[in-house]
Amino acid sequence: MDMITIPAVNMTPIMPEIFLSVLAMALLLINVFVPSGQKSYIGYISFIGVIAAAVLVGTGWGMHVESFNGAVVQDNFASFFKMIFLLAAGLAILISDQYMVREECNHGELYPLILFTVVGMMLMAAGTDLMTIFLGLEVMSVSLYVLAGFNRENRKSNEAGLKYFLLGAFSTGFLLYGMALTYGATGSTRIADIATFAAQQSLPSSNVMLLAGMLLMITGFAFKVAAAPFHMWTPDVYEGAPTPMTAFMSAGPKAAGFAAALRILLVSFSTMQADWSQLFWVLAVLTMTVGNITALRQDNIKRMLAYSSIAHAGYCLVGFTAGNPTGTAGIMFYMLSYTFMNIGAFAIIVLVGKKGEPNGNVMDFAGFGFKHPALAVAMSIFLFSLAGMPPTAGFIGKFYLFSGAIQKGYIWLAVIGVLNSAASVYYYLRVMVYMYMKEPTEEFDWLQVSAPIALSLLISVTGTLVLGVVPSIVLQYAQEAIKLI
Amino acid sequence: MEQIIFYILAAVAVIGTVLAISEKHPVHAILYLVTSLFAVAVVFYLLMAPLVAVFEVILYAGAIMVLFLFVIMMLDLGHPEKGFSPHWREWLPALLLSLVSIASLVMVIVSRHSQLAVPAAQSIPIREVSRRLFQGHGVAVELISLQLLFALVGALYLGKQQASSPGLPPSSAPERVSGSEEKSP
Repeated sequence: MDMITIPAVNMTPIMPEIFLSVLAMALLLINVFVPSGQKSYIGYISFIGVIAAAVLVGTGWGMHVESFNGAVVQDNFASFFKMIFLLAAGLAILISDQYMVREECNHGELYPLILFTVVGMMLMAAGTDLMTIFLGLEVMSVSLYVLAGFNRENRKSNEAGLKYFLLGAFSTGFLLYGMALTYGATGSTRIADIATFAAQQSLPSSNVMLLAGMLLMITGFAFKVAAAPFHMWTPDVYEGAPTPMTAFMSAGPKAAGFAAALRILLVSFSTMQADWSQLFWVLAVLTMTVGNITALRQDNIKRMLAYSSIAHAGYCLVGFTAGNPTGTAGIMFYMLSYTFMNIGAFAIIVLVGKKGEPNGNVMDFAGFGFKHPALAVAMSIFLFSLAGMPPTAGFIGKFYLFSGAIQKGYIWLAVIGVLNSAASVYYYLRVMVYMYMKEPTEEFDWLQVSAPIALSLLISVTGTLVLGVVPSIVLQYAQEAIKLI
Repeated sequence: MEQIIFYILAAVAVIGTVLAISEKHPVHAILYLVTSLFAVAVVFYLLMAPLVAVFEVILYAGAIMVLFLFVIMMLDLGHPEKGFSPHWREWLPALLLSLVSIASLVMVIVSRHSQLAVPAAQSIPIREVSRRLFQGHGVAVELISLQLLFALVGALYLGKQQASSPGLPPSSAPERVSGSEEKSP
């Protein structure tokens, strides 16, 4: 009788994932023995774990290892995105502690769930099989649904969790249907095999099943990255979720969605680029415009940043439309800068929020600049960067995204992008007008800066400024990574 | 012939699903979903995948749907007091759909196992399925198990009530009472 032999597999490509999964499970067990007032220690352990995972990812830079019969790969593209996810998770963990203690929701399950979300995102970036990418996305999403509804005593948070769950499940259906159709058309779920199949076709876009599969997959990813017209869930979920989780959600999962979509489109459907470029042109213009126009009229600062995050997804879609090395490396650079600046802005919102009313309005920032000059300067840097002004990271990111589009001849797209960017200045500067030009209505005496938040702000400010002044230190890695995909 | 049976079963599955989402009564909707899943199971059998067919029946049509029914009964959404003798218009479509599925299944089994038929293709044995699963898709299997673990952790966390919180919010309780009083006479 022949036994089923378990094949020897190379575990190195998924070492960071294994490490984080084991750490998450261990922390779940440790959580049981930690008394309820001291859950912060679990956060500290997770933060150290995130750093260790980053070291593991860093040591694998430059290697190209395929494993599990080509289901996962370790390449620079995956490593670059893994670093973004770890950065987002690390910053989110740092700002979580103070918020959760203040809102009396400091449960130890938070940190293992964050770590596990990161595992899902990493596998989305490293997956070279549609199945791995899909499962990574599900692992990420299921943990995120819980994180969005993490403040279970708060109605808004419950609403956010449920809405995210329902619409997320709906969008997963699109994605899975697209993957099934692609599998039906090509007979394989391996990204490389799909590419081989498409290359053999004289006109791959005339294969209706393959085209429908690609379109449905794009729809599914558009939901996940909150691109218009699939953005409806974003404001409610971002507003209701606990602020640190909103920060995490706006940076990490968005980057993961872009990573998976980039790999699938650039490898599998590279021969159909003419088809998906046009689609992304429309998506990019819609997403930028809808996000920016709607953000103009928001008073709640979390809703404003939610719409602004839709707009930022739109800028990244400009890079997709271009589809050339400048544009795609621009996406990677932009997601990294966005992680710094957006989580930084949310950290300030965490600080300004009061117990019981953590979802602040723009008006709450009145006179903030006089009471807390250092924090206001940090907030201004983040807002300048989000608006895309030099010398911040946001400017350089947009510069690369739009110049990628111009190189490909999409002049109008770049013009619309720049106009949108100009419109966005209004609502970012509005916060600064309140901070510096209005009389303070509050004393801000409840505001305390704990050490972890101070560290996260330090990292965010440094990242935003350094990437803005010397972008080449990161951009060369992004360009190197996109070349070898 | 297999193609004709496939299209009949596909039609049954689609009609069952459409009825499942158009039906207002939740219990009826679930039963239509069961008929649809059963038709899909027969399709799997037709495609030489008996193991998947069995899983489809045991897991989806069996376990998960029964779980749905339990939840509906627990939440009292089905208003069982009205359902003692349903009108024939309510059960006939479901019965017809299941009869079509069963008839197709019988036809497939009979034609496969009769002496006259030439075995066209080998059905996939369990050994081959598990070999594919654990050799080709090892990382996927591990991921699914991890995901289930953390979905469980999340569900447990969200479902757990804090000792200080006073259970269900009081606003929802009287609503349901007034609703059932309306229906009961």
